[in-house]
Amino acid sequence: MQSVPENLTEGDSAFIEQTCIPFLLKTQNKDGGWGFFANSDSRVEATSWALLALRESPSEDREEIRRGLDFLRSTQLADGSWPSAQGQQEGSWVTALACWALGSATASATISTPISAPISATESQRSLSQGLAWLGNERPADSRAWRRFLRRLVADKDIVAQDDAYYGWSWTPDTASWVEPTSYALLVLRRFAARVASNVFRDRLRVAESMLLDRMCPGGGWNCGNPMVYGAPGEAQIGPTVWALLALRQMPEREEIRRSLEWLENGWQSVSSPVSLALAQICLRSYGRPTSAVRDALCNAYSSEDAIRSVPGVAWSVLAMSSTQNWLNTAAPA
Amino acid sequence: MVSSGNVLHTKLAKYSGACLECATMPRESTKLLAPFSRPVSRVAIRRVGTYKEDIASVLYESLREFDLPVRGKTVLLKPNLVGIDPVGTTNTHPAVIAAVRETFLRLGAAVVLIGDGPATERDTQAVLESMGLREFAGPLTGLFVDLNLDDVERVLLKTRASRLKELYLPKTVRGVDFLVSLPKMKTHHWAGVTLSLKNMFGVVPGGCYGWPKNILHWAGIDRAILDINAAVRPDFAIVDGIIGMEGNGPLQGTPKPCGVLVLGDDPVAVDSTCARVMGLAPERIKYLSRAATLLGHIEVGKIRQLGESIESVRTRFAVLEDFEHLIGTT
Repeated sequence: MQSVPENLTEGDSAFIEQTCIPFLLKTQNKDGGWGFFANSDSRVEATSWALLALRESPSEDREEIRRGLDFLRSTQLADGSWPSAQGQQEGSWVTALACWALGSATASATISTPISAPISATESQRSLSQGLAWLGNERPADSRAWRRFLRRLVADKDIVAQDDAYYGWSWTPDTASWVEPTSYALLVLRRFAARVASNVFRDRLRVAESMLLDRMCPGGGWNCGNPMVYGAPGEAQIGPTVWALLALRQMPEREEIRRSLEWLENGWQSVSSPVSLALAQICLRSYGRPTSAVRDALCNAYSSEDAIRSVPGVAWSVLAMSSTQNWLNTAAPA
Repeated sequence: MVSSGNVLHTKLAKYSGACLECATMPRESTKLLAPFSRPVSRVAIRRVGTYKEDIASVLYESLREFDLPVRGKTVLLKPNLVGIDPVGTTNTHPAVIAAVRETFLRLGAAVVLIGDGPATERDTQAVLESMGLREFAGPLTGLFVDLNLDDVERVLLKTRASRLKELYLPKTVRGVDFLVSLPKMKTHHWAGVTLSLKNMFGVVPGGCYGWPKNILHWAGIDRAILDINAAVRPDFAIVDGIIGMEGNGPLQGTPKPCGVLVLGDDPVAVDSTCARVMGLAPERIKYLSRAATLLGHIEVGKIRQLGESIESVRTRFAVLEDFEHLIGTT
């Protein structure tokens, strides 16, 4: 048995090694990808999370990782993006996630090589570069000048309270900016921007960060991106709150961050599903907040026979518990 | 949920009288989809005062009248699960979902699944747990299908009402024998009302289009409703109007007791009847008036009314200022 790393208890290690990793290994499809659930079709999003999780596990040099990376490279579209479902001919938010998985793998391959034997780091880096370029150039529809002009013309703060000068990233092309895809893009571009033309991204990142801060719900935390509608304050949700807080980690002193962390520390206690608990654990841990209670709740959540086991949910659990947290390590902003 | 696409469209329509969507998008083509041809649709209104009543018995008696072809079949119930809802005001109530499931099993259905893809909340299990569905309907594993994350197949849209030419839709929705739309009776701050037709937005998978499914808003909500319903064609609709929502629905409105279940074999007719119960004129609701030519009946004369009369249960729902033009009776 492997030694238990610092800040990881025996129980946590067993949870990862006996519950989560076997599930991920068992649910990989023959094409190398993962679906959202066992026995479902491979998807880029599920595959990306599974790969990030397996890279964080104690035995990171796995054949399954190589096959997963092959799946990602094989599903990349000619323009450098990735579709959310096979067959789609248009890229989407999952491009950021695929870049994250590829980038983590290639970063590791340059340091330690066990995984890299059949993997061409050059191929993966080329894939990553193309993906990052697509992401950096992708503009949501609400960023277009004529749209913003028209919106200023008919602006009505009675309907929504948000600053239209800011924009981030959309879920799918030609639609509006939302909190979660913006957070993913920020996390990925900031981490890997140094490898490609980081100067191109600098202003874009600042505008997107401002968008996130602007979209915070009045009581702290984030929902999908509607802080106020017809005068009614939006209710925050755990998922978007976690991703926004992770994307804004470089500004922990801001009041918005403090209030949102407070919201999250209270908010997770009203849920018992593994997905939300894993995400809460990831975020609170990254901010150095106490996590033993949420960690216990997460382990308990999977003890139920009726717990829904999704690949992203289990992968997030691994990421929440991993001792290294390599997947979140962020290079200094360019 | 709100996107800049929604806001821009609504405000331009309000201030200029012009509709950006109408100016830039093709009109729906009746050539691609045969017009609705059934002579008369049937809609039943049943009084149910609270969620503690024996809803299954009421439904069983009502559904027997419709003689539905569900024996030995796989049925999918598609409730409206908008988000975390511990007090039961925004989602279809779990008591209704469980009662409908029990009723279809009693009518001989081999399998009755429950499935939805919440629009803004990725953690579907958290939604189900918040509303206590397990306590009403039993273990969720094998019973509930997360349509946001289901396997998908490409579906070419026949109506072309919106700019969308295709959607990737859940295989479960496409594969079942009988699809039931099971919404809550609510006003909606972009569409006017959300009933059985608008409820079908939930079959569009977040796993393909995000949370929210913003592509539908940018394609034009009213037109996308038509496209989706033409693609999946719900076979039956049951609307939870026991406690509805008025005002700033579908999330932030005010609970509105109405004390009815409205059900029928034509979702357009069911929604039109619901609108009349809510004190709104269905012909003034954009997507309903368009659906009337393609998907079902909106005229009173083509709807055979069963159970209670509309007048006897009418409960006027408050609407936002932008939708006051919908108020009226027809």
